[in-house]
Amino acid sequence: MNRVEDPTRVSIVAGPLVGPVLRRVVGMLAARADLPLDRLDDAVLVADLVAARAPAHVAQSTVDVALQSGDRSIDLCVGPLRRGGGRALIVDAAVPGVGNVIEQLADELDIESEGNHEFLHVRLSYNGAD
Amino acid sequence: MAPSAHTRAGRPGAPESDIRLTLPARPENIAVVRHMLGALGQAIELPPAIVDDVRLAVTEACTNVVRHAYPDRSGTLDVVVRPEEERLEVVVADSGKGMGPSPDRRGPGLGLPLIAALADSFDIDESVSSGSRLVMSFARTRRGRVMRAL
Repeated sequence: MNRVEDPTRVSIVAGPLVGPVLRRVVGMLAARADLPLDRLDDAVLVADLVAARAPAHVAQSTVDVALQSGDRSIDLCVGPLRRGGGRALIVDAAVPGVGNVIEQLADELDIESEGNHEFLHVRLSYNGAD
Repeated sequence: MAPSAHTRAGRPGAPESDIRLTLPARPENIAVVRHMLGALGQAIELPPAIVDDVRLAVTEACTNVVRHAYPDRSGTLDVVVRPEEERLEVVVADSGKGMGPSPDRRGPGLGLPLIAALADSFDIDESVSSGSRLVMSFARTRRGRVMRAL
């Protein structure tokens, strides 16, 4: 898919529905991006971690994620987060014995500041041969 | 997110929360909405038959937006879901032409009658300055549906 279009935006009041809804939407868009199954699983795992950890760092009462699927890639932009929330979310995603899962799975990871808020950008892609 | 979402989220006895999905109004994105509703239905333990009704009604509403709201430009499809204790409210909105008969209509035109049959109540909010806003409400148990049939 080479067309660039507006992202899909998901906004969920921080609570028990963030995980089920976000993982389904991310899984759907990762599948549409034609990511292989392993990378699709990675994208869903990142979604689960964002759902579990982001509520502690959001700037308001909602977890907001903008999603864009591309040519064998999916981009997630999480925020607005509180100042320092981008790094804190990444650190919170560390699993004992495994390390930082988001850092390990992402092809690109970036924190953008905007006023008093931050946005965490995560890109997962697949560059291998079929 | 509407201000009411924040107050509702903190209300005792209402552990669930509002969900807003904003997507490019394209046919393939209707499937994203359907999948999201399926996930939501599982999470809040809606009976499968009610999930089916919600998905079908919302699909019809989203299809209306995709087909008719933006004839000359791209635009967005906005879906808000509000789970409440006894009902589920779903709002499907656009900022395009709004609802109305389509000059190129070739189908049977079952969209709104189907939504009316599936939802426990629905309303077309015409107060928005542009576009359309369809508000559907579904009881979370079948009891209301049976009572209505009687």
